[in-house]
Amino acid sequence: METKDFIESGILEAYLLGFTAEDEKEYVQNRILTDQQITDYVLDLETDIRLYFDQHTIPPPPEIREIIQLRTTKRDIQKKKHVFEQKSAEEPKKKDEYLEIEVNDTYIKVHKFWRPAFIAVFILSKIFLIAGLYYYFKTTSLEQENEKLKLEIQNIK
Amino acid sequence: MNELERMNNGVDLHPVTKVAPLTPLEVYDKFGAMAYGIILQIVPQPHLAQEILVNVFASPQLQACNSYPFTFAVCVIKLARAKAVEAKKKLMAIGTDDVENTLENLDLSPQRIFDLSFRQGFTPDEVAQKLKISKSEVLKALHDFFKSYRNS
Repeated sequence: METKDFIESGILEAYLLGFTAEDEKEYVQNRILTDQQITDYVLDLETDIRLYFDQHTIPPPPEIREIIQLRTTKRDIQKKKHVFEQKSAEEPKKKDEYLEIEVNDTYIKVHKFWRPAFIAVFILSKIFLIAGLYYYFKTTSLEQENEKLKLEIQNIK
Repeated sequence: MNELERMNNGVDLHPVTKVAPLTPLEVYDKFGAMAYGIILQIVPQPHLAQEILVNVFASPQLQACNSYPFTFAVCVIKLARAKAVEAKKKLMAIGTDDVENTLENLDLSPQRIFDLSFRQGFTPDEVAQKLKISKSEVLKALHDFFKSYRNS
């Protein structure tokens, strides 16, 4: 069909207003994509259709906007939840790698390997304390015995 | 034809200026009054028309208009008409059918044919059958309707 005949056939008007069948749609889309004259006509026709329906605008009640907002928000939340569930099912390893925690206490946290080190230091300190005391008392008693022996020697002389 | 090509053609249409996909509320703010007008033309009951209007703008099909190759307005017009016709057909199945009576008046003017196709929800084949004319004459009448509107 010639371009002029195609434009005047009215199929483009039917296509833009949604009156065409599926097979007709494909044919019209191909003609629009391949023929610049048809493309230009479609652009003009779209403007005409828009202007025609702009004449018949009626403002809807204000509460309709709120209802639409509520419905779309609810749908978005459901969609996000669905996406989140899908992600968590797909990536369980990644989730294990990073553990986000919020610390809200006054304790210092150290690595668990420090625990035996602290115990060893505690036990060694006790051993050294006992050893220190033992040698202190031993030295003191030896000094006293030494003094005693010195006095005895002097008495014998 | 995509949005960039439109821009190159120097045509100032809505999708050209659009960067991110429009949200349903943004679309509603732009085209809500137009869609409500269309729905009321097809379904004159305000309460039902408002329900259809909500269905149009809360519908996931509206997001498809973001990838629609033509203007957003035409996509919304199509969607509003489709939803309204669907609701009207449900009503007609329940209530009385007054279409047959109106078709007794065999007015073949482009205005009448546009009214039957757009507002009454008949396909071009059905209109041709009811008015006893060919489908190509129905389509030609749609062309003549917008041609006469453009020239008026």
